[in-house]
Amino acid sequence: MIFSLVRIEAGISGFESPAAEYKELKLNIDELLVEHPNATFLGISNGDSMNDVGIFNGDVLVVDRSMHPRHMDVVVATFNGNFSCKLFDEINQCLLSASDDYPPINIDKSDSFIIEGVVTSSIRCHRPSRFINVCAS
Amino acid sequence: MYALVDANSFYASCETVFDPDLRHKPVIVLTNNDGCICATNRMAKALNIPKFSPYFKIKQQCERHNVVVKSSNYELYADLSHKMMNVIGRYADEQYIYSIDESFLHFKNFANIIDDFHAYGTVIRRAVYKETRLAVCVGIASTPTLAKAANHIAKKVKQYRGVAVIDDENSRINVLSQMKVGDVWGIGRKTSAKLIIENIHTALDLSNYPVGLAKRHFSQDIERTVRELNGEQCIHWDAVKSPKKQIYSTRSFGQRVFDKDSLHQSLSEHVSIVAKKLRHQASLVKYMSLFASSSPFDDNPVYKKSFHTFIAPTNDTSVMLAAVANIIDSVFVKNVGFYRAGIGCLDLIDEEYQQQDLFTPSIDNSALMTCLDNINHRYGRNTVKFAAQGIEHQWAMRREFLSPHYTTRWADIPKIDC
Repeated sequence: MIFSLVRIEAGISGFESPAAEYKELKLNIDELLVEHPNATFLGISNGDSMNDVGIFNGDVLVVDRSMHPRHMDVVVATFNGNFSCKLFDEINQCLLSASDDYPPINIDKSDSFIIEGVVTSSIRCHRPSRFINVCAS
Repeated sequence: MYALVDANSFYASCETVFDPDLRHKPVIVLTNNDGCICATNRMAKALNIPKFSPYFKIKQQCERHNVVVKSSNYELYADLSHKMMNVIGRYADEQYIYSIDESFLHFKNFANIIDDFHAYGTVIRRAVYKETRLAVCVGIASTPTLAKAANHIAKKVKQYRGVAVIDDENSRINVLSQMKVGDVWGIGRKTSAKLIIENIHTALDLSNYPVGLAKRHFSQDIERTVRELNGEQCIHWDAVKSPKKQIYSTRSFGQRVFDKDSLHQSLSEHVSIVAKKLRHQASLVKYMSLFASSSPFDDNPVYKKSFHTFIAPTNDTSVMLAAVANIIDSVFVKNVGFYRAGIGCLDLIDEEYQQQDLFTPSIDNSALMTCLDNINHRYGRNTVKFAAQGIEHQWAMRREFLSPHYTTRWADIPKIDC
């Protein structure tokens, strides 16, 4: 008697997930933090003058250039050729630090570009990030 | 109506976006290997620093005037260009990105809702500056060539404040009469010299040139330019970019290359670059050129060139590398300090419609190439590469004055004082 070996393959298809119809796009952290991607940049905070509003040394700041700054917004200003994070006091037209150790800075009206953008959020890594090295300053 | 939106000295402007200290200083940007000046900002232009001149010739002048010198930071420019184009694109129903710093807008249905194009141009200009900190000029007119002319004037003549509109015969004559014929879009150096002999000096002279003669004396392209300058649209672009007819990769070395292995490695690197571009646009190469040269400033400049014809057209990096290994001896010369090398793919055919050869079937491993491209797309260029490309490149591009990759590398994001 001759036997021949035949391999039989059956495709396994399983069951469709009952949740398949309810699938939606995953949450994306960009969506939450970046409203205007083309006008937004990230920076890293350096110093402790904004501790009182919850921005600490080494936090990542999300800065939106397209937004119009409102009274007491946290903003980034160009100051002495550097970016500085300040509070915008619209009523007194000056920039404040969130700390008594730093005096307010008056905004010269002729220089309209002094405000670079509005800090819409700041990010703290409670465990050190492998992407960002912070030197204690 | 069309608009041409064009950044002012784009590379130099990009350098000032994250370094506000540079916004009021003269800035120049150098080409690959810090060889020549490729961009100068307004303050540097005011110091009469010539564009495209070799850096070593004007180094002293730069030091004397405290000019800020930067190497080309392509990672930064590409990202800022992308953002700038997105902002510009918001303002019309059709956008055509012409180069890294120039974009055409076509107002089709938008044209009905814009009643003041000059004001609209100003809105675009302000928005781009506010959101990206890049200064642009806007030219608006009824044809792409006229829009380009308007943009030219908006840039050159201060009174326009960065926005020029050609919307009637007066404004057309006004703009074109101020423009040299050589500055018209599509008029090259040779044509411009020829036109000047015929007493055509300004763009306005050219627009008055008889259309029939333009075709007979010059070419159909020039005829089209004349028509466009008269407000008759002749230039159209396809919604889909047509694939390139030729692909080159060439670069000068950071330091002179004397040995064959290094030259071979650099040519292999160029092969990997062009092969990836071929695959990206689904083309195959039939005819590949390979060249290596010393500097034209040397006492005895050497320029060597060689060719290879692929019987079965290819876009497989390994097939192309094998060809390079076969012909490298024909370009290498002992005791020559090579300064520049490159690969050119000259005869390209469409992968989809290729004519197969019965006796020499293609040996391309396209599955492997797709895998290679996917890995490198996901994890960065040259994550996986051919050993022929070498590991450490002593001849790599020199970028001594490189600014941080502010927007593409975590370690480089700008510091904000708190």
